[in-house]
Amino acid sequence: MLKRPERFIIKCAQLHNSYIQSLHTTVCLSSQERLQSFRTNEENPLNHNESNTAQFYKLLESDKAKLFVHGGLPKSFETQAKTFNETCLMIRQPALDVINCMKNIDYNKPAVRFVLYGKKGTGKSLAMAHILHYAFKQDFLIVHVPWVGNWMRRCKEQSNSESKEGYIDINLDAAGWLLHFKTQNAHILSKPKLKTSRDHVWSKRETTPKDSPLLELIEHGIARIKYASETVNAICEEIKILSNDGKCRTIVAIDGYNAFFYRITRVFTVKKEPVLPEKVTLTEGFLNLTKFDWKNGVIIVTVDEIAIAEKDQISHLPRYLLGKQGFEHLDPFVPILVSNYTKKEVLSCLDYYKERKWIQPYPGLENEVEFVSASNPYKLMKICASL
Amino acid sequence: MATIKTFFSKSGLFKQRICVIKSCIQQNGMSSYPSFYINPIYKKEEQEQLKKEGELSKLTHVPTRAALNDQTCSFTQDPDLNLFTNYCMSDGKKVLARSQVEQTLESIKRLQLEKYHKCKTDEDRAKIELNPKVVFHKAVENCKPILQLTPIKRGGVKYQVPVPITAKRAQFMSMKWLISAGKEKEKPVRFHLQLARELIDASNNSGRVVKKKQDLHKQCEANRAYAHYRWS
Repeated sequence: MLKRPERFIIKCAQLHNSYIQSLHTTVCLSSQERLQSFRTNEENPLNHNESNTAQFYKLLESDKAKLFVHGGLPKSFETQAKTFNETCLMIRQPALDVINCMKNIDYNKPAVRFVLYGKKGTGKSLAMAHILHYAFKQDFLIVHVPWVGNWMRRCKEQSNSESKEGYIDINLDAAGWLLHFKTQNAHILSKPKLKTSRDHVWSKRETTPKDSPLLELIEHGIARIKYASETVNAICEEIKILSNDGKCRTIVAIDGYNAFFYRITRVFTVKKEPVLPEKVTLTEGFLNLTKFDWKNGVIIVTVDEIAIAEKDQISHLPRYLLGKQGFEHLDPFVPILVSNYTKKEVLSCLDYYKERKWIQPYPGLENEVEFVSASNPYKLMKICASL
Repeated sequence: MATIKTFFSKSGLFKQRICVIKSCIQQNGMSSYPSFYINPIYKKEEQEQLKKEGELSKLTHVPTRAALNDQTCSFTQDPDLNLFTNYCMSDGKKVLARSQVEQTLESIKRLQLEKYHKCKTDEDRAKIELNPKVVFHKAVENCKPILQLTPIKRGGVKYQVPVPITAKRAQFMSMKWLISAGKEKEKPVRFHLQLARELIDASNNSGRVVKKKQDLHKQCEANRAYAHYRWS
């Protein structure tokens, strides 16, 4: 396996793109006065490039309200954003790599799978948020699951599936996801070309006919919570067909993907027996979406230790977390390591905190904090909380 | 140990042989270190200071105690805050106590920053103290009493007599009051949040703890007629 395969792809693709990129950076430097090196005024992720690494950019409230209103940003990050009175994301290498790949891949080929992996608290979810923001600006159809762990380990209610024997529905969570999907894609779903390809029969009286808009399907799922799980699967299927026909370009972003393959869930049957993840109806739809038998799409998943039980949090590597079955399901994929902060990123982060009046400067602060936190972004945040 | 020594010296027992007894009984309380061990100098600035004065070479080969686990050379280290953590601690759960105090500092910052962002003008903003440690020190300073009431029995009646207190005692009382005020709360409110609110209030010279201090002073003022019972 290549050590950094994403670099290889970028290098291959850069040949025809390098001219535009170099032109762009020159414009960037001359037009914008950079008063502070830790912050960039470039709010559009389309224009972020290598020169912006370790800089913070502001996520506009309007974009945030459309993208992350029903989850997607970690809770601790949300509290920070509330305190700082703004939402800023750091531009980091993994997200830039994925965005560069997304700019250059051929969408007529089967969907490319990216797997973000890394130790706890290194910023996988935030890298995902950055990528999602890019996709949002590029008018992708966003299929985003904020945290699979919420379904498999902390589901709100469960019931036996009516259509399939032996399967378990988690309808409230499914309806929540439908709402999330609807808010994220409000502007795309209003387009008339997104239509269902076949009749969806829910019961004797309820059917969604062929050629009805996708929005109708979603609203049916939200209104009739009993059928929410099946609706999710139907939507996943429809999205695949629509992208294949070239009617929309899709990004599938799933956070905590390995929870789909972890044997021990906290979903229980009526007899209080634990359910295997593949016996949860929602799993099927998203596993279907992460196959590479469709085009016009890109798939980004994160594998995370926190999505599985604490006793099994041994390694952060994809092969361990996904298991044999999951690894074979995803293979071939592009692994992207999200690592700890570099020195530059630590300094930039501390500068940002100082600017936001979050920490008081004292001599030797940078060295000490970097050493104590071992450059881990989450630990750095925790340590700075009491300074 | 000190009480035994004073008892012997006052009563006049073993007057001649007091040195012998001294050598028999343990000198240094419960400490595992002999009394000639010196305390460690763990602050970098103090070490630099000693180096400049040339004192450091004298201390090099003197037996030294190991530093305690809360004594670090970090700039964030604060002896008063460590003391406060120890007062917060119950049953020796230091990790918990430390996390509570750290969360308190965090809550102070969050509360103050929220106010800061609400302010319209720069003048108002300048008034808000954003450094949680400064807030803490101010709060402790503002809550220190100067007198306290001690019951003294005269003629079969106990009188509440106002007596002056030492600086150490005043600091202890101030911290104790702040912590107990943090514990007086509704159940869903967290200790660190309540403590943060109390600290901010106290640093602005208002709130329950400052009120408590003033009440004590008033009581002392009312009982000033008994003051002479201290010595007569």
